[in-house]
Amino acid sequence: MPARTRSVRKRTFGLAKARVAAINVFLIFHILSVACWCIPLANPLVAAGRNFVRPYLLWSGLFQSWDMFSPSPKSINSYVEAIILYKDGSTQNWAFPRMDRLSLTQRHFKERYRKFVENLKEDTNSALWPDAARFLARANNRAPSSVRMVFLIRYWSNIVPRNDGEYTPAAWDTHVFYGYTVEADDLK
Amino acid sequence: MRLSSIAEAWNTFFFEPQSPVPIALFRIIYGSLVIATLVLLYPDWLAWYGTHAWVSLQTMQHVERGTRLNLFTIIPPSDHWLEALFWLFLGSAIFLTLGFLTRLNTVIVFLCLTSTQQRNLYITHGGDTFLRVAGFFLMFAPAGAALSIDRLIRVWRRKENGGARAFSPWAQRMIQIELALVYFAAFCSKAQGSSWVDGTALYYVYHLDEIRRFPVPSWFLHPIILKLGTWLALLLEFSLAILIWVSELRYYLLTLGLLFHLCLEYSLNLPLFEWDVLSAYVLFIDAADLGRAGKWILGAVRAHLGEAPPIVKDGQTVLCRLIATLPDVVGVFRRLSR
Repeated sequence: MPARTRSVRKRTFGLAKARVAAINVFLIFHILSVACWCIPLANPLVAAGRNFVRPYLLWSGLFQSWDMFSPSPKSINSYVEAIILYKDGSTQNWAFPRMDRLSLTQRHFKERYRKFVENLKEDTNSALWPDAARFLARANNRAPSSVRMVFLIRYWSNIVPRNDGEYTPAAWDTHVFYGYTVEADDLK
Repeated sequence: MRLSSIAEAWNTFFFEPQSPVPIALFRIIYGSLVIATLVLLYPDWLAWYGTHAWVSLQTMQHVERGTRLNLFTIIPPSDHWLEALFWLFLGSAIFLTLGFLTRLNTVIVFLCLTSTQQRNLYITHGGDTFLRVAGFFLMFAPAGAALSIDRLIRVWRRKENGGARAFSPWAQRMIQIELALVYFAAFCSKAQGSSWVDGTALYYVYHLDEIRRFPVPSWFLHPIILKLGTWLALLLEFSLAILIWVSELRYYLLTLGLLFHLCLEYSLNLPLFEWDVLSAYVLFIDAADLGRAGKWILGAVRAHLGEAPPIVKDGQTVLCRLIATLPDVVGVFRRLSR
């Protein structure tokens, strides 16, 4: 075999080997990092691994959690409404779309509101409240009296299991969880 | 067991060439689901992602820290640009589904998908997450090697003929592994909850007003049935994560998984979630079995449509060449013959 052909074959084989090695590193890294991130294990080694891969997974969009209905499903029915207070003292109620009151088609289009409200009503997500209040102020502003305040209200009713399997909805509780004073700039 | 046998098994699993038909079929289903997601999002696109959205970009960046792939941080903050992003995303998803400029469109769809989710993570459900992660690995897969316009163009240019050539399936394997991890993580997370262990979890799930869809039979809501259902769901999630890799059990488990997700689709209002997860089932089906299923469907279509019309080639012009290659190009439908 001519020396040039041998050299080309060697180079090609070398490249293929390097490519396969790179893919193997890619595979091992991604399997370990994704598994480490999403499997809920309370282990110091796993926690250290999570910290290590965190910047990459956040950047690449490979972060994930699979905790729907877990560790336990919600044991309350809930929804959120808003009260819009105008400068002339009048008020208006505003309700986020409630899936149980929509048609099947509407539920498909408004599903994102269900998810948003599920997050919005949590105290841990209080950073979202000012933005949501501003959005509501803009959406409900009307001449001649503009919006002065927005209140967000949480309603909930406990789901209480009964031994006979029957279900009677419990009474609804209410809590005003946020009040926002609207400024002129918010309405632009 | 020897180290060399482990390495051999690894190489066979990730690198032994196989038909690109399963990943191509996944691409079509995946693209269709992205299109469906976008169509459902369109009426509220600016409410979620606009300059005056429910959650501002600044708030999102403040709450969810870290450097992230997010086109919203680099495009001008104007609703016109954000509308344009929607149409780019939709167009790219359509091209991806059709398999036109497939590699480029897997990249665009992934970038747009991850950007929209990073822009507002508070409206994202598990199905979106699965599409995002699967989309990442789809970028590396030969998704346009079969059932695509790209392949038709290659056939027309005579760069390819006959069946699609085989490829290393490592990217497809990563999507399969991702699906198994979804089930395993869900199983582990549920196994830590007392209501899943004592069997009351489904009682709560089926009494959540916001996700109730069609009525379920009253016997299903009996405490004993709900308990059994709760434990069966756990068992099935575990099996779909672990036992799915045993080839003798695979089709039984896929069938059970399909029934499980269809039951959830009927009874719970979680739009597109079940279909997003089910989309990856096709990757577990052997290409030969997919071929047999395809032949059976095409046979039924042919029987319904009658004999195929013949094509007569009478020249060497571009038009004649194009027409003459049509049987190869649309060969999958067996609707033309020379």
